[in-house]
Amino acid sequence: MKIWSTEHVFSYPWETVIKAAMRKYPNPMNPNVVGVDVLDRSLDAEGRLHSHRLLSTEWGLPGIVRAILGTNHTQTYVQEHSIVDPEKKKMELCSTNITLTNLISVDERLLYRPHPDNPDVTILTQEAIITVKGLSLGSYLEGMMAMRMSANAIKGWDAIEWIIKNSERENERASL
Amino acid sequence: MNSVGEACTDMKREYDQCFNRWFAEKFLKGDQGGDPCTESFKRYQRCVQTAIKEKDIPVDGVEFMGPNKDKPES
Repeated sequence: MKIWSTEHVFSYPWETVIKAAMRKYPNPMNPNVVGVDVLDRSLDAEGRLHSHRLLSTEWGLPGIVRAILGTNHTQTYVQEHSIVDPEKKKMELCSTNITLTNLISVDERLLYRPHPDNPDVTILTQEAIITVKGLSLGSYLEGMMAMRMSANAIKGWDAIEWIIKNSERENERASL
Repeated sequence: MNSVGEACTDMKREYDQCFNRWFAEKFLKGDQGGDPCTESFKRYQRCVQTAIKEKDIPVDGVEFMGPNKDKPES
């Protein structure tokens, strides 16, 4: 089992960041995400918005790799639950893979909040628990996955920034 | 962005546009009344649930509740 965590600050207010986070896909940094669907959405008694989403990812795995992994499917799926609290200004997002679970489990948690030292910017705390199952190279592969997650996290932050800047351009054009 | 069910993509986009507008202009500003997206969500959901069954995607038991229904805290 490998636990990985990181923090990142976006130089935008919380509302701007989470509007972008809710519309994160598609973006050029995450081309492997090929489908996003909302499975369920509801408000709880405290006025928080819960969303359950399904993400489809396509890795373009060659046939032989798929044969080794024992899967006929080319797409892997991730299920995600997010909670947006507009009063407390918190967005929490948890995700887990629901395919290839006999091989690997990646559980991620993201928390977006205004930065405690500067309410005009947003801090993202991100952590993952990675478990590779049933292989003697487990801890080595977990290490590799953690490195991959670091690289992907950076892409994820760039993706949010890209969405924000894209929206700013759209707003400028609309107001002309 | 596409839906997991190819036939659902247009419905998904229609719902997403409605939701994104409501989210930005109402929800985040403290106005939670009157979700305008219920109809488009229902249409979209029917399609997605069918696609999930057809593709045998192991989604864990999230029953379709639709927006604005109170859910017990998990």
